Amino acid sequence: MAAETRVPIRQGGDIITARQAGRAVAAQLGFSSADQTLIATAISEMARNILMYARCGEIILRPEQEHRPGITIIAADEGPGIPDIQRALQNGYSTSGSLGLGLPGTKRIMDEFSIVSEVGKGTIVTMKKWKY
Amino acid sequence: MRVPILKQGPYLIASIQDALTDEDLAQLQQELVARVGQYRTRGVIIDVAALDVMDSFASRTLRDLAHAIKLRGARTVIVGIQPDVAFSMVRLGLSLVGADTALDLEDGLALLEQHV
Amino acid sequence: MADQTRPSVTLALMREMGLTEETLARRKAFLELRDEDSERLRGLHDLAQQYAERVIEDFYAHLLSFEESKKFFTDPVVLARVKAAQKQYFLRLTQGHYDAAYVEDRLRIGVAHERIDLPIELYLSAYNFYLRTVMKHFVEAYGNHPEQVIPLFLSLLKLVFFDMGLATETYLFQRERTIREQQEAIREISTPVLPLRERLLLLPIIGAIDSPRAQQITTQLLHGIRTHRAKVVVMDITGVPTVDSAIANHLLQTVQAARLMGAIVIVSGLSPEVAHALVRLGVDLGTVQTVGTLQDGIEAAEQLLGYAVHKVESATADRPVERS
Repeated sequence: MAAETRVPIRQGGDIITARQAGRAVAAQLGFSSADQTLIATAISEMARNILMYARCGEIILRPEQEHRPGITIIAADEGPGIPDIQRALQNGYSTSGSLGLGLPGTKRIMDEFSIVSEVGKGTIVTMKKWKY
Repeated sequence: MRVPILKQGPYLIASIQDALTDEDLAQLQQELVARVGQYRTRGVIIDVAALDVMDSFASRTLRDLAHAIKLRGARTVIVGIQPDVAFSMVRLGLSLVGADTALDLEDGLALLEQHV
Repeated sequence: MADQTRPSVTLALMREMGLTEETLARRKAFLELRDEDSERLRGLHDLAQQYAERVIEDFYAHLLSFEESKKFFTDPVVLARVKAAQKQYFLRLTQGHYDAAYVEDRLRIGVAHERIDLPIELYLSAYNFYLRTVMKHFVEAYGNHPEQVIPLFLSLLKLVFFDMGLATETYLFQRERTIREQQEAIREISTPVLPLRERLLLLPIIGAIDSPRAQQITTQLLHGIRTHRAKVVVMDITGVPTVDSAIANHLLQTVQAARLMGAIVIVSGLSPEVAHALVRLGVDLGTVQTVGTLQDGIEAAEQLLGYAVHKVESATADRPVERS
């Protein structure tokens, strides 16, 4: 298994590429079909955020096998950054009209979830899902 | 056009074959709304059986679509949501308010017939 | 013990167990197993070949003197094969190059032993025996240079601990995997999805529901709706003693997911205890249809589907109703 898969996010089609790659890595790791869909959905959310707010960035998929099987997903961009992370993580919050960041939902379905963001510099979202 | 739209009596059926780009979805919305007006359609069925992921953007788009169709006086039924996708949507907190849901095309048509 | 494990199988196992080059390097660092130890042990090889036979014979004589270990070696053919394999194993200890190939080889042996259900303490007792016996041989062989004995022995000790770590880990890993597979199988059997009538499914749940089982139930239920084209599912929890809030919320989400598939889930068999517990936990089952008994659940489902069940008074078990 490859150590890492990187998918650049520059246009709409890349969202599909990223989530299909995520599903493939999850399948290889032996995740259940239901979990594969959760992972693909989380990737789709984050990739779309990159596209909508940062114009470009990348999704990094990393299989974890050290202590227990799992997957790490990193969504990184050099976009405008999130001014108030706490608010963004609250249910119902959205930055522009009806377009939300999908962060609270994604956080719920992942086992680990963290955001590092600096206004004007960029954002890195790191999520992990364990097989059991 | 990526999404084929069929007419079945007073109903329109749109089968989403593959993951759509944002442009495709926007186009679908335009087409459907236009045709609903054109044929005096009473109901629209959107078949999403081919979608293996439904994220917040997709669900928002479908909600908006159902809203626009409602403004034209027609109902929307979304059919074919796959088991894993359904559960993911609920876990993520996504909803399809404004549209009905049914198992498949057959049930979708039956549902539309009921509310004549 | 004949080893039928193919090389590709152990490589995959190594990956699954997370035994990467990095991990192994870290372990050796932890045990302070270094190149100098490897060199020292290689220097022992000739000596090891001399006393190998004797150590093996002594070891098996020791094993065969105990009832519980004797039973594994009743067949003389098996015993001969095992002795040969053990001799190889033993000699490998003094050949240096304790790299990934070495680890793979050790894992293969561990797997073979686990497969025949050899108790791990028997497996580990072999190491105990080697170390003690070998010490005696070292002292004999290095009589003129006693100061060399301890460094030699310590190097061997480090390597043996490296091996034991791998052996126990293999055992545990295989056992855990078997347990998981069995649990999965049990869960599948214990959550049958039964088509009761056209478009009506019955999902009787018996026993406690833990998190993995809840996920299993969800998968069975939702896939069952698709497979059987169900419009109504009666999920009966009469046989479930308690439900905590996490499980209750999970079941709630399952009901919502079923709705997205156009199906209604009726939860039946909610005991007063479970009902009170859910109220106390503040779980809002607002939109979920719940009924007290399985019977109520089936009747409600039939109503929803447009069935009306009437008893034909004149019918009996001897003269049942004729099917039209």
